[in-house]
Amino acid sequence: MATYRPPGEQSNSPYIDPTPLPSSVPRVNELGVTSAPLKSAAFFIGAYCKEYNEDFMLCKQENRNPAHCLKEGRRVTRCATDLIEKMRANCAEQFEKHWQCLELNNQEYYPCRKPERVLNKCMFDKLGLTKTIPGSPAGQKQVHEVEKPIFTGVQK
Amino acid sequence: MPPAGGFEAIRYKRNLPARGPGGAAILLGVTAVCGYGFYKLGLGNLEKRELKREKAWSRIHLVPLLLAEGDRDIYRREQAALAREKEIMKDVHGWEAGKSVYNNKNYRPRDTIVVL
Repeated sequence: MATYRPPGEQSNSPYIDPTPLPSSVPRVNELGVTSAPLKSAAFFIGAYCKEYNEDFMLCKQENRNPAHCLKEGRRVTRCATDLIEKMRANCAEQFEKHWQCLELNNQEYYPCRKPERVLNKCMFDKLGLTKTIPGSPAGQKQVHEVEKPIFTGVQK
Repeated sequence: MPPAGGFEAIRYKRNLPARGPGGAAILLGVTAVCGYGFYKLGLGNLEKRELKREKAWSRIHLVPLLLAEGDRDIYRREQAALAREKEIMKDVHGWEAGKSVYNNKNYRPRDTIVVL
């Protein structure tokens, strides 16, 4: 029930502060993507927006104040929006299939390897992005590339 | 008296045919099945570790994005609260709006979400 209700309409509804951001802060559209597409795109966001993400996190390490890293945060959001738009322009069908599969499988990656491989291939061909899991053992296939995994969905 | 030539030998030994594999073979078979099972379990544990790593990194990659969005919202609400406080306390002499009650310059998240 994440619908917007104007404050004061119901006394038991959560209070939402209607004040907009001060005009001194440049406006950036929020991403507005739900959890399954985000999870589907997570590794590509990590690859595509690496510099912005790291810059933002280093800034947050300096100071926890939300006002301190607004600029870096806007860059992070713009980069992610850019990537999602590119994904939808180039691999819309594969992206849709993968996140729908995640949605149906408790948002776990391992039952959705088939649509994931199609998406990964499309992303590599069209945008040159690969999914790599940092810290995976060297010299072995990464989990999402294993041909016959032990853990699969209950139904084949 | 015993009969001539003595009594017949008493047949006390079990007279059952030996059926199926022997004990050693069964033991070996069970060990082999268990060994295979444990081998697969070990492989499964390694794979599970990698799946956990995958899940963890998928979340780590999203942290900056979600944090940035949350920060903007918190900043917006904090500025609104500050403006409200200034408006309410404008007649009170010597009141510094938004001043921390602690003698500490570090940022501290608000304890109250909204003061109406």
